[in-house]
Amino acid sequence: MAFYETVFIARQELSAAQVEALAANLTEIITQGKGEITKTEFCGLRTLAYSIKKNRKGHYVLFNIEASAPTIKEMERQIGLNEDILRHLTIKLEKLDTEPSPLMQSKQSRDRRYESLGNDAYGSFEGDRE
Amino acid sequence: MNSIPVTRKPFFRRRKTCPFSGPDAIQIDYKDVKLLQKFTTERGKIMPSRITAVSQKKQRELAQAIKRARFIALMPYVLD
Repeated sequence: MAFYETVFIARQELSAAQVEALAANLTEIITQGKGEITKTEFCGLRTLAYSIKKNRKGHYVLFNIEASAPTIKEMERQIGLNEDILRHLTIKLEKLDTEPSPLMQSKQSRDRRYESLGNDAYGSFEGDRE
Repeated sequence: MNSIPVTRKPFFRRRKTCPFSGPDAIQIDYKDVKLLQKFTTERGKIMPSRITAVSQKKQRELAQAIKRARFIALMPYVLD
């Protein structure tokens, strides 16, 4: 079974319960296809970097999936049919990481690891031709 | 007292190493917005590897991660 990771964004009008119900029936599809979802993360309401279909915010949900390709295709088809899901992205991975994704702990600072990479370290490069 | 005209020190920058190819390198992940933002300009564009000294292999991975982050609206396509 291959490893996949799916992120999708649900409309902001949905309540948290509805989003969970949405995730549940996707899980249902995966388990029917004899796959399994090892990690489900509800990252809650986040403001989007740009508006998608007139929505400023969206519920982000992340799945770690171990399933066969036809099952994934079926899940993708269901996601495509569902209007509440604004956008989704499914990628194939070699291995699944189980620790919480950086999406979740936006508050919890992991900045000290990136100190050396600060933008200012690269000087004032705007890269704008004009 | 005339100050000796200091010859223009050649612009020397210590050889920067790629932050992603060391033994304990940071994993590039399209969900890690804080990390990816370090490699985009204020306008949201991807910085060239000649500036950030990222190795070519890791720059390709980084660019793909940034494009994925942009697709799921974690990062803007353009910031004005």
